[in-house]
Amino acid sequence: MSFIDNFLARWQEYREPGYYKEFDYAWTMTIDLDRCTGCEACVTACQAENNIPIVGERGLAQGREMQWMRIERYWEGEYPDIKLGFIPMLCQHCDAAPCETVCPVSATYHNQDGLNAQVYNRCIGTRSCAVYCPYEVRYFNYNNHHWDAPLDEQLNPDVSVREKGVMEKCTFCIQRIRQAKDTAKDEERRVGDGDVQPACVQTCPAEALVFGDRNDPQSQVSQSMNDPRAYHVLEEVNTAPSVVYLKKVETDAG
Amino acid sequence: MNVSLVPTLKALKPAALVVGAAFVGLVFGYWANATLFPGPAQGTAYAPEQPINFSHKIHAGDYEINCQYCHTQARRSASAGVPSVSKCAGCHQLVVPERPQIRMVLDYWENGEPIPWVKVHDLPDFVHFPHKRHVAAGVECQTCHGPVETMDVVSRQAPDQMGLCLTCHKEHQVEFGTDCLTCHK
Amino acid sequence: MSSIDRRDFLKLVGAGGVGTGAGFVLRESINHPVEQLIPYPVPPEEFSPGIATYYNSVCSMCSAGCGITVRTREGRAKKIEGNPAHPVSQGRLCAHGQAGLQVLYNPDRLTGPMSRSVEGGELLPVTWEEGISQLAGRLGDLRANGQGNSVCFLSEGVRGHLAGLFELFMDQLGSNRLLHYDFAHPQTLYAAINRLFGEANLPYYDLQNTRFLLSFGADYLGNWISPVHHGLGFGRSRDGRDGVRGRFVQIEPRMSLSGAAADEWVPANPGTEGILALGLAHHIVNEGGYERGDRDAWVASLEAYSPAAVAEQTGVSADTIIRLAETFAGTQPSLAIGGGAAGQHSNGVDTLVAVNALNYLVGNLGREGGLVFNPPPAVGSGANGAQATYTSMLEIAEDARQGDIQVLILNQTNPAFTLPAAAEFRQAIAEVPLVVSLSSFMDETTAMADLILPSHTYLEAWGDDFPEPGVGFSAGAVSQPVVSPLYNTRATGDIIIGLAQALGLTDAFPWSNMEERLQEGWREIHARGVTAAEADDFEDFWTGVVKAGVWGETSRRVRPLAVESGVIESIGVESPEFSGSSAEYPFILHPYLSNTLDDGRGANLPWMQELPDPMTSVVYGSWVELNPTTAGELGLVEGDLVEVESPEGTVVAPVFVYPAIMPNVIAMPIGQGHTNYGRYASDRGVNPIEILSPQVEPETGDLAWAATRVRLVPTGQRVEIVKTGGVSRELGREIIQTVDAEPSAGESAGLSSIPVTVVHS
Repeated sequence: MSFIDNFLARWQEYREPGYYKEFDYAWTMTIDLDRCTGCEACVTACQAENNIPIVGERGLAQGREMQWMRIERYWEGEYPDIKLGFIPMLCQHCDAAPCETVCPVSATYHNQDGLNAQVYNRCIGTRSCAVYCPYEVRYFNYNNHHWDAPLDEQLNPDVSVREKGVMEKCTFCIQRIRQAKDTAKDEERRVGDGDVQPACVQTCPAEALVFGDRNDPQSQVSQSMNDPRAYHVLEEVNTAPSVVYLKKVETDAG
Repeated sequence: MNVSLVPTLKALKPAALVVGAAFVGLVFGYWANATLFPGPAQGTAYAPEQPINFSHKIHAGDYEINCQYCHTQARRSASAGVPSVSKCAGCHQLVVPERPQIRMVLDYWENGEPIPWVKVHDLPDFVHFPHKRHVAAGVECQTCHGPVETMDVVSRQAPDQMGLCLTCHKEHQVEFGTDCLTCHK
Repeated sequence: MSSIDRRDFLKLVGAGGVGTGAGFVLRESINHPVEQLIPYPVPPEEFSPGIATYYNSVCSMCSAGCGITVRTREGRAKKIEGNPAHPVSQGRLCAHGQAGLQVLYNPDRLTGPMSRSVEGGELLPVTWEEGISQLAGRLGDLRANGQGNSVCFLSEGVRGHLAGLFELFMDQLGSNRLLHYDFAHPQTLYAAINRLFGEANLPYYDLQNTRFLLSFGADYLGNWISPVHHGLGFGRSRDGRDGVRGRFVQIEPRMSLSGAAADEWVPANPGTEGILALGLAHHIVNEGGYERGDRDAWVASLEAYSPAAVAEQTGVSADTIIRLAETFAGTQPSLAIGGGAAGQHSNGVDTLVAVNALNYLVGNLGREGGLVFNPPPAVGSGANGAQATYTSMLEIAEDARQGDIQVLILNQTNPAFTLPAAAEFRQAIAEVPLVVSLSSFMDETTAMADLILPSHTYLEAWGDDFPEPGVGFSAGAVSQPVVSPLYNTRATGDIIIGLAQALGLTDAFPWSNMEERLQEGWREIHARGVTAAEADDFEDFWTGVVKAGVWGETSRRVRPLAVESGVIESIGVESPEFSGSSAEYPFILHPYLSNTLDDGRGANLPWMQELPDPMTSVVYGSWVELNPTTAGELGLVEGDLVEVESPEGTVVAPVFVYPAIMPNVIAMPIGQGHTNYGRYASDRGVNPIEILSPQVEPETGDLAWAATRVRLVPTGQRVEIVKTGGVSRELGREIIQTVDAEPSAGESAGLSSIPVTVVHS
């Protein structure tokens, strides 16, 4: 092929949304809003697993939040007919992610497992990805972070400690996925359903989070996705997220 | 607008000279550092001095001791590990214990102290390199570490740059080997 | 170029010099620092570098006793998970449990024994030998003089063999002053269960299988007795069996976490929850087809509790009462639970008797989805025997003031923080000549100690636990160290055994350490032969139990479905009494255990300080929750600093407008307001416990901590409340979507945008 033809063919490929037509594993998470109690166990589990720094009171007052998984709360109605709903919000690993399109240095991209990947040492900190993200799940390190010794003994060696100036977000616990693939490769098999659970999924007391491969029709997450209650948050933005929410059921108790 | 160019440039000249002098100083300072303290820079042939003159040439070369006899974790874990002092003492309590370097090893052993080796192959903390997978794939240690069995002092033969990893991953068509998340934590 | 004058020349030289320095430093800064590879002198057997080792143990962050699995790398604890085999946690864990790592690695831990050699002097490091002999010397003297009873031991609630060890020690000293003190211990619930059913232990509330839960004030998903297990039950009952989804109703004056999860939140006047329960009972007995033999007795006792009468007192409409009663009686199985603030009024025990009696009325005792009685724990008499009430703490304080207490030993409990100022406990401690603390952290009470013998944290020590409330059958677990001890501390059990041996009590304390004591105790359990898993050899059995992190016994408790005699005839709930007059103090203070900081013990954990409060998203501070209408009337907005004044004292905190609280109630979280608890907790927020009035529940003597009246005095100042949440209304964005009822499969909705999946061949 001539140079031009080659270039055009590759450009065509590049322009396809999501970069991959098929995923090797298609990691998906379902979150059942009817089961979520808002207890925030998932938030702390994620902090422990992923070396998430403590921002401190001053940083939080400036809006510099650092919670890869956060619980949002929304009130509905007025006293005494008042309700409160919780929704866990994390990186949706969108197959048509706006953040991936804007990064000037391609520090964020979609990998073959359907994950939206963030490469910390490539990031130059323009923060445009955070602006483009409709779910506001990207967080920026405004400071170099410090753990008062010996709190740093707890840091997870399988996860980078991020420096000032890079963006970070939920990775679906890629280190656990990598570990599960490693084990599976030793045993010459594919990663099975339930072999890998991100920290949040593992700890949720109400079992509201389910994680797995939607390419496998037998997996728990595939069954969960096909629930008639399934929906995407901000579906109208068309980002094709990999996180499926199950609608909360509202009934009269009586 | 009517701004004359030459008078403006003339007015800026003193400031420009100062900035220029600072820049020249910067370059000079950098060069001075590079010359005076070549130090552990990027590139090859980094061979730092070790606390004990352990010679891979003698052990791995002449005596043909298997790499994994000492570096036992290479096939089991992400890190290959450095042998414990007990491993050295296991042989050297009997083998030429009187030689000065061996004496130093046995001193460490008797005091229950670890030998503080200087790391030659140091990947950045954001890279995940599992020795286990590579050993299992049949990659020889020498591929990345060079002909260690010929080295009296271990030197870094291959550059610890991403290119090394990618070249191999592409050449051997490692499944998803060029995906960033394969190596980047 | 014209000649340069001196000034310019110097400028250029200076700039060049600075540049040179900068260039030098620049290259230095981009240099890769030299790293070292430190091997082991002898490779450890327990782990391989690069490979994680997992240990099973038991969490001690609250009293539930969840089994945990701790992931360690190279001898450091990295992550705590629930132990999948343990019946309480079943692989899951709450936020507090996850934060246990920060207890272990907290920078403000006490690192070794300390003593004040001079009265009022500084705390200076001493050796263990010195510390033990100092205390043993004093104890020995008192024991020899027959004054053993002047030794008082105050511990946090513990169970298992450690509790037995404390009992044995105090018994040998000749002292009966052994108390466990926790602010949130459900004393009134124990009393209610005992009165109603004659049971000494808490029952198992089977949330998982129930189809209708009525919770009177119990924040079962937040902090109430066993939140992880309740979370599991909640989630699974939502999933429903046979497509029927469990429904939950929460009755309380301020919406808690459980109130948010509930299908219906019913605001009821504080302290009237028991009256409301009897209103439901009235309808069930009179109109609900109740046909047991004791019907007439019930009708007689409930005469004053018609829905109309109850509606007036509680603020809940008669229609709602009737509707709830009918659903409760008509759904099988249903379950009523009560606790939290509902049990902490002057009528607390009566309230919880009434609530639990509802279970009897609808016949769910001993049934799946109802109230199931627990067998007694395999070891010990349960957690309530030695538990202190507010009144017993006052007695201790009075004894101290009288000079009857010569030695006070404290173990991981902080009454200087968790008792109201009205108890004057701090002043009482100051009267005790020798105060000893076994705590792992410096806190307000430990700061008053003369001798500190710090304990290991739970991740460094041997122990065991038998969860309470139980899970319907007898279960337990051994807690093992997951890391080597970090500092010069000792396991609490080892400290006690060491003291006992220094006192020459080697007959009663023949063990050299706690691990040995545990093994002897578990030998007895093994010998009983009722273990679910068979193992002939004790060594195998012990290894198995430690490795699995759980043990179970096949015995269950079968009990006739009856209440104690005389209960029905005497059932009744008085109106609650509050401190202060409603004219002077128009609001009722509703303090609640913080979801992140618990009773204050979590305040020194940075993860817990940074974790937003689930209901308000506030971090790092205290606040006062006000109903929006009330706030409007007082002209207060978020952030306005107000003085919350009770008859006992005042605290100052910013206002938070809280949509789900009754207009005459204000709420404050407990947990902040420490003055001496490490860098993360000290001088932050306020402690509402301080201003609580010394109202007690008369039967137990427990503190009626929900019975304080307060008034609000605006200060005119405003601060910014630090929150992580933004606008807390959806404003039409439909982020949380709902369906009206569980749609059956085949109905519309579902996903439209998941790409076509391809199965990897």
